[in-house]
Amino acid sequence: MYLVNRTYMSLQHVRSSFIGLILGGIALAGCETTINPELQNAEPILVVDAWINNKPGNQQIVLTKTQNYFDSSTPPAVSGAVVTVTDNNGTVFTFNEDANAPGKYVWKPVANETFGTIGNTYQLSIQAEGQTYKATSKMNNTTVVDSIILKKNEPTQINPDFYRAQFYAKDLVGFGDTYWIRAYKNGVLLNKPSDINVAYDAGFSGGGAFSSRVEKKPNGQDTTILLDFIPPIRGRINPNDTDANDNAVSPYIPGDSVYVEIHAITPEAFTYLQQVSIQTNRPGGFSELFARPIANVPTNIENVDPKGKSAIGFFNVGAVSGKGQKLQVKN
Amino acid sequence: MRKLYIVLILFFAVGVAGAQQSSGKFTISGYIKDASNGEALIGATVYVTETQTGGITNEYGFYSITLPAANYNLNYSYLGYQAVAKNIGLDKNTRIDIELTPEAAQLQEVVVQAEAEQANVQNMEMSTNKLEIKTIQKIPAFLGEVDIIKSLQLLPGVSTVGEGASGFNVRGGSVGQNLILLDEAPVYNSSHLLGFFSVFNPDAVKDVKLYKGGIPARYGGRLSSLLDVRMKEGNSKKTEVTGGIGTIFSRIAVEAPIVKDKSSFIIAARRSYIDILARPFVKLLQDGGALNFYDITLKANYNINQQNRIYLSGYFGRDNFKFDKNQGFSWGNSTGTLRWNHIFNDRLFSNFTGVFSNYDYSLQFGRDERDSFKWNSVISNYMFKPSFTYFINGNNELNFGAESIYYVFEPANAVGVSNGLPTDVSISKKYNLENALYLSNSQKITKSFSIDYGLRFSMFHYFGPDSTYTYKTVKLGERKEVAERRYNQSGDVIASYNNLEPRISFKIQTSDNTSIKGSYNRMVQYLHLISNTTASNPLDVWNPSTNNVKPQISDQYTLGYFRDIGKDKKYELSVEAYYRKNQNQVDYINGADLLLNRYLEGDLLSGEGRAYGIEGYLQKKVGRLTGWVSYTLARTEMKVDGINRGEWYPTRFNQTHNFKVAGFYEINKRWSFSADFVYVSGTPATFPTSRAVVQGVVLPYNANDSRGNVNLPDYHRLDISFRLEGKKEKRGGVRKNSDYWVFGIYNVYARQNPFSIYFSQTDQRVPAGQPISSQATQLAIIGTLVPSVSYNFKF
Repeated sequence: MYLVNRTYMSLQHVRSSFIGLILGGIALAGCETTINPELQNAEPILVVDAWINNKPGNQQIVLTKTQNYFDSSTPPAVSGAVVTVTDNNGTVFTFNEDANAPGKYVWKPVANETFGTIGNTYQLSIQAEGQTYKATSKMNNTTVVDSIILKKNEPTQINPDFYRAQFYAKDLVGFGDTYWIRAYKNGVLLNKPSDINVAYDAGFSGGGAFSSRVEKKPNGQDTTILLDFIPPIRGRINPNDTDANDNAVSPYIPGDSVYVEIHAITPEAFTYLQQVSIQTNRPGGFSELFARPIANVPTNIENVDPKGKSAIGFFNVGAVSGKGQKLQVKN
Repeated sequence: MRKLYIVLILFFAVGVAGAQQSSGKFTISGYIKDASNGEALIGATVYVTETQTGGITNEYGFYSITLPAANYNLNYSYLGYQAVAKNIGLDKNTRIDIELTPEAAQLQEVVVQAEAEQANVQNMEMSTNKLEIKTIQKIPAFLGEVDIIKSLQLLPGVSTVGEGASGFNVRGGSVGQNLILLDEAPVYNSSHLLGFFSVFNPDAVKDVKLYKGGIPARYGGRLSSLLDVRMKEGNSKKTEVTGGIGTIFSRIAVEAPIVKDKSSFIIAARRSYIDILARPFVKLLQDGGALNFYDITLKANYNINQQNRIYLSGYFGRDNFKFDKNQGFSWGNSTGTLRWNHIFNDRLFSNFTGVFSNYDYSLQFGRDERDSFKWNSVISNYMFKPSFTYFINGNNELNFGAESIYYVFEPANAVGVSNGLPTDVSISKKYNLENALYLSNSQKITKSFSIDYGLRFSMFHYFGPDSTYTYKTVKLGERKEVAERRYNQSGDVIASYNNLEPRISFKIQTSDNTSIKGSYNRMVQYLHLISNTTASNPLDVWNPSTNNVKPQISDQYTLGYFRDIGKDKKYELSVEAYYRKNQNQVDYINGADLLLNRYLEGDLLSGEGRAYGIEGYLQKKVGRLTGWVSYTLARTEMKVDGINRGEWYPTRFNQTHNFKVAGFYEINKRWSFSADFVYVSGTPATFPTSRAVVQGVVLPYNANDSRGNVNLPDYHRLDISFRLEGKKEKRGGVRKNSDYWVFGIYNVYARQNPFSIYFSQTDQRVPAGQPISSQATQLAIIGTLVPSVSYNFKF
């Protein structure tokens, strides 16, 4: 369903207009109202935002608390915690709270050092408000972006004046490599729920078969097939934005710059992000017919005391690669 | 359980022994048909005045009554038809075929339960509702398109998750727990346009019967209901063309005799036509895009002789959505049924049915060959079903037979090409065989006490070749890990199950106009509709029972009170209570991948379900004002380890109160008025308690890990329609053709009924570090009144 959901999403505009068309121009295209239902009260718990990579520079872990769903203020920071990450060789990376930004814990590299070694396992430890939390992550390798291209929509499509970008990258050989692709348009990270772009090998899920692999040729020789990410993943670096009149705007125009990062993540982090996408990317309208029940996304943060207060969020350590390009039209 | 079987066997022995006593008795048998078009009348009554007993015609219009030699007055009747009286001196087995004439000055009588008056009270059946096509055509319909599935939703015990959702829910069963049979062929997807319309062409349908409980032993394979849709046989007297133009469909049906009174056919077709009208204005459609749905229904029958009759029926329907020449999706059902009615003798009626049925969908994406994705999925089944009815004597009617279905599931034949390199991502085919044997007897023990008891023995096999996996649970409610993979050779039996399904019902006639009925039913379902979305959709897959997925089992108990009210027994009242317990219900891990996933079964969870409720139904069948009131108080829950902390939670289609009224009024000879009103409790929804911000994304979080912790606001809606009959005379003479207009308004007071409430963060881009707002949005699928007009003709 995830695949179809994503396919549906990318065809969302087309599809809505189709159903609109069939339902005969009568204004049936769903009718949405913002409401303010009362929610059950809940005690705030710790939220861990710990995505560490090997980009040059500082690495940070942010500790906050949950708040009422309709509380739109900045989440309350959790200050005064002791935050460390230890690798399987016993090396300790200490994250100190930023004096100017409560709740933000920073590891500062020495000279040109980057965080971690690919293949190592890392354990996060947090002591906050009398509780101790732990999480582990393996640091996986990532793949590189081969190229990024810009294309104008074909005239047959809706919005023929739109430009869309695609990146090409090949999955690492073997099954079980998982990635999070993040794109920056003109230096700004695309960070809406609809921008979440994760890949399991070259495809959408572990139960599929899209993967770079070694196959036996008929003559008995091994041959390595390096598979590019499938098209929906390649194309999900396009911001999906609307103007003041709620009309879709072209994702890119020639001259824009785009930067694509491929973060290695653990399969657990893949599941986490996939579910974050399902739970948060709610375009509404007819897609609600095929929505799934609201459910909590999983977490890998555990209280060492199973009876203690729980926490949510995620800890992942992974390699990252990136490539930028000023977009020129290519035919 | 064992005791129950012993009791059943004893009863059979008594019933069969009863058969021996029938010497000196003779049988009256035959068919009852409509005199105007030769259609068999299902459920017509033969009443023997002297004995105050009678018989009812079966699905083919056949009846058989055995009586001692004597002189009898027989009365043949069917609501809306002129009764026929016959006097017979019974001294040998006698064949009497009767044709009943529709009542002349027919003020468009609305026939809901088109059975003899009092059938409600006197019939053995409970938990069933019969809708005649004449009634369905009167119910105000969405966009004026007469819709069989939507009409069912006005009956007690039937609900839906909301507008635009396909299928229906019966007594707390899911959409995939209904067996939908079109002339005995299973239909896997009953919807056009993702659920807005159903696949049955009303012009070709004769009669619809919904079994919610007390399901006869001859049917099985789904847990909660059986929807038996019978197609018209075609007019065997004269050629008739009916058709119409509605908001969505244009329709035409032709029926005619092939050989008068011996053989006839009907062919009916519908197609959506908006794409044709829109083509000049919509570039998409000119460039190879497509948007249409259609269906073709045909049936022919041949009366070989008095003992033999054959029927051939077929259905083909399709939905096409293409975004351009190379991209889009399409789905459809096709079915074919060949039936042979054979009368061995006056008391032994048989029918042999062979069915082929198929459901498929396909998707295609990618604008060029270097990057493309093609996928199709097919379920094919081949079915053979011999069934026999032995009218032993006036007190026993024995039904027995068998059913064998061979299934081939092709979950995905799929190839994806990424930058020129193809990858086959197909999921292997699954081969299954379902067999069943059944025997049941309907026995009249005393004048006021009858019971119907039967047993169905069902078997299911899953054959190789296929790769199977076993899984181990890592954490409850999360994806299971593959523990072991195993390859099974062709012909290997990978898994097999068998089940005994007892079916018992009784009736106590407490007075001339009152009866009490009860039933117990075990149903087993070997195929599972895998769907975790609010509404089921055309891409939902069916998964057979396997080594990991066990067959679903349901036990239902019902008790009902039936009464005819008023001097002329104009009103029928029924009150029924039911309790159902389900085992091996399927639910899903959060974030389950249901499509193109060879480890699908690692994403499934299994649990138990229960549903209980009470249904009230008051109906007026005759007069200028007809209609019904229905009320259901119900609860439907599931309990699955890993969901809702392992506690009971309400299903998405749980509705506490469900109140419906349908009324039809004849204003004068030309105008009639129909209205329906629906008031139902809001269905459950899951609301978060809190939010968390991780990596700049607002996550909803429910601190109690609940499912279905709140209810949506209540749903209510009023629909009306007016029908104007065309003039019956023309230039002084009687017009040969007839026609009528229907003007309707759906959702008259334009209520924005909530379909769902969803939680999301602002759609605006928020600069890093700035607070992000989040909100709840209530969605109404149809948020306004929808007027419609349709024109229908017949000549």
